Amino acid sequence: MTGKRSLVVSIVDDDESVRESLPDLIRQFGFAVGAFSSAEAFLASDVVSETSCLLLDIAMPGMSGPALQEELRRRRQEVPIVFITAQGDETIRPQLLARGAVECLFKPFSEAVLLDAITAALHWPVGAA
Amino acid sequence: MTAPRVTPGGRWTGYHGVNGDHADVNTAATDLINILDAVEVPIVVLRRDFSVACFNRAAADVLGLSPSDIGRASRDISVFAGCPRLEQQCDEVVAGGAASRVDLRDGDNWFVVRISPSTSSGRQVTGSVLTFTDVTAFRASMSSAIYERECTKTIFNTVRDPLVVLGADQRIESGNRAFYTMFEVSRDEAQAAPLYELGNGAFEAAALREQLEEMLAGSRAFRPVEVDDVATAKGRRALTLDAHPLSFPGHSERRVLVTFHDITARKQAEAAKDLRSEEELRRSEAFLARGQRLSLTGSFSWKVASDEIAWSDQLYRIYGLEIGVPVTLELVRTRVHPEDVALLEEMVQKGREGRDNFEGQYRLVMPDHSIKYLHVVAHATRDQDGRLEYIAAVQDLTERRTSEEALAKARSELAKVARVTSLGVLTASIAHEVNQPLSGIITNAGTCLRMLDTNPPNLQGACETARRTIRDGNRASDVITRLRALFSNEELTLEFLDLNEVTREVIALSLSDLQRSRVALQSQFAEDLPTIAGDRIQLQQVILNLLRNASDAMADVHDRPRRLAIRTELEAGDRVRLSVRDAGVGVNPRSMTKLLDAFYTTKADGMGIGLSVSRSIIERHHGRLWAEPNDGPGATFSFSIPGGPEGDTAIAPVARQP
Repeated sequence: MTGKRSLVVSIVDDDESVRESLPDLIRQFGFAVGAFSSAEAFLASDVVSETSCLLLDIAMPGMSGPALQEELRRRRQEVPIVFITAQGDETIRPQLLARGAVECLFKPFSEAVLLDAITAALHWPVGAA
Repeated sequence: MTAPRVTPGGRWTGYHGVNGDHADVNTAATDLINILDAVEVPIVVLRRDFSVACFNRAAADVLGLSPSDIGRASRDISVFAGCPRLEQQCDEVVAGGAASRVDLRDGDNWFVVRISPSTSSGRQVTGSVLTFTDVTAFRASMSSAIYERECTKTIFNTVRDPLVVLGADQRIESGNRAFYTMFEVSRDEAQAAPLYELGNGAFEAAALREQLEEMLAGSRAFRPVEVDDVATAKGRRALTLDAHPLSFPGHSERRVLVTFHDITARKQAEAAKDLRSEEELRRSEAFLARGQRLSLTGSFSWKVASDEIAWSDQLYRIYGLEIGVPVTLELVRTRVHPEDVALLEEMVQKGREGRDNFEGQYRLVMPDHSIKYLHVVAHATRDQDGRLEYIAAVQDLTERRTSEEALAKARSELAKVARVTSLGVLTASIAHEVNQPLSGIITNAGTCLRMLDTNPPNLQGACETARRTIRDGNRASDVITRLRALFSNEELTLEFLDLNEVTREVIALSLSDLQRSRVALQSQFAEDLPTIAGDRIQLQQVILNLLRNASDAMADVHDRPRRLAIRTELEAGDRVRLSVRDAGVGVNPRSMTKLLDAFYTTKADGMGIGLSVSRSIIERHHGRLWAEPNDGPGATFSFSIPGGPEGDTAIAPVARQP
């Protein structure tokens, strides 16, 4: 088991305030963080394979969160995904979980909930599907 | 000797008096003459040559003979002309010596003339004596009797109903033609036969013999007897027999006239009619029952004085009671919803007071705790004794209500959608827009605390996160402004509107909602309001919002009527005002101004957007929206907008916050 330092949590969200605020908090949890404003930007980066947990917005301009999940699966670069959304539609959660997401968080969420979700992601059996 | 004397001159000496020598003979002749003249019967003596020998006074009076007729040939005297066979008859009498009779007519008078031989003292027949018996009256009464008899006989035979006269032992004496025809017997065959031999014995069975017996014994009463299945020439017939006593003066024996009236056709028609009306009744009852089932309507009658209640089958079904159990007001009460018992009592009371008709709605609680909604319409009538009775229809509105509620729900959802659409914005993204900055605030605040909690505290980082927290707070506030601004950017569809009409449409849309919330709506519309230029849909959203708020504010009111008053009026300066007054929980005067701010809400499940948006809409119409507490319970929300077409060109864009 490697040390916490080496674990990378990536954030993909088009909302700037999320990209500003979340990384600081996650760093406070003790993880390394990468923040991307779009799915395309994340795919183009070199952190995909290093990411232990992906915090992924659902609705974004360009490629959506679920579309990115599909793309990663297609590339056999599956990453445990925690969806985060500001839309209040709870019906979407079971669908996302059924399609392999670790968790789906509705903004605003508390630190504790976020930490639980990231912890669950770190123990997620990647590639089990 | 008392033979009349005739003078050699042939004159009737008696008429002229006696002038003989022998006084005693004269006396006898005078006596005889007196007798003959006293007799009212005319007597004339003819000689063998038919000349008149003599006559008495009555012959002069009655037959009009005069003394000059003595010696004249009878054939020359007019009175004898009425009897052409007189001479021949007289000859026979003179020749034979035996008296005979002959009829004689003199004008309107009829006589029977007895011709007897007239003999001389030597027993020699010298002529004939004619005595005239006046039979005019007799003949007249005879002829009238014959006439009457013939008439009667004709009538008797012409009557189409059979008639028969029964004598002793109820044996047939005579019948009319119809009688013989009907029973196919000849007059001779039927003669003296008992009535009971006819008609194949059908008469024997009927209660006939005894009654006829009594009538023959003197009774006059007879109850007509119906006899079915009588064998006749026309087949089996049903007959009514009636009887009338016949008695004749001088005849001790009584007879009975029996009439037969054929009622077969009538009975068949009646039977057919009975069958038909029975069938019709059965059909109309079935039809009614089906109608009641289909329309979910039962009916009942209520005799007020005796409290007798009769229900239709369908009403039993509606009440879920076994068909036929006796219905009492107590039984009805056991099914009525506890909250509606008072309503029912009131209706019953109205009924007892005999107010003409009554109508009402109440609910039932069924054994499975389901609720039924009933509507009753009762019509007051009087029975034949003038006692009050109600005939009522009871309709089960439950299904209709359920579908109305479903409809209302669909409608309210539609209205919601329309409202959201008319906001033109955010819809799902309202939450998104608000949650994003909230999320940032929470995350930043959390981060800030953690940074301050480290040793040494990361003050620079904490300051940065605190700054971001403030920024996100402002962002959230911006969302609200944007919401209103975005909304205000929508193009208004302006048209000239009648505020009353616009309001009525909203009321129509909301009525079932209000009814379901048990809100009593009172509306009061000012007449002659000026038209306003505005966006119909948006103004209706405002009115709908005010109505809904008012209704919601009274949701927890149970101790007073949930009264909602909506009114329009003309304000100074040609402005029109609409106000909605509720009797709800009211508004704290201190929060009055906050009420209209976005996201301020007193409702647990409200976003508080309604009033804020409503204010934006009204402001865009150059109007004002405000709230004020009532003197009594509740609050009044009002808006006023300028009337008149000048508003058309003066719609201003709402100032946008930078």
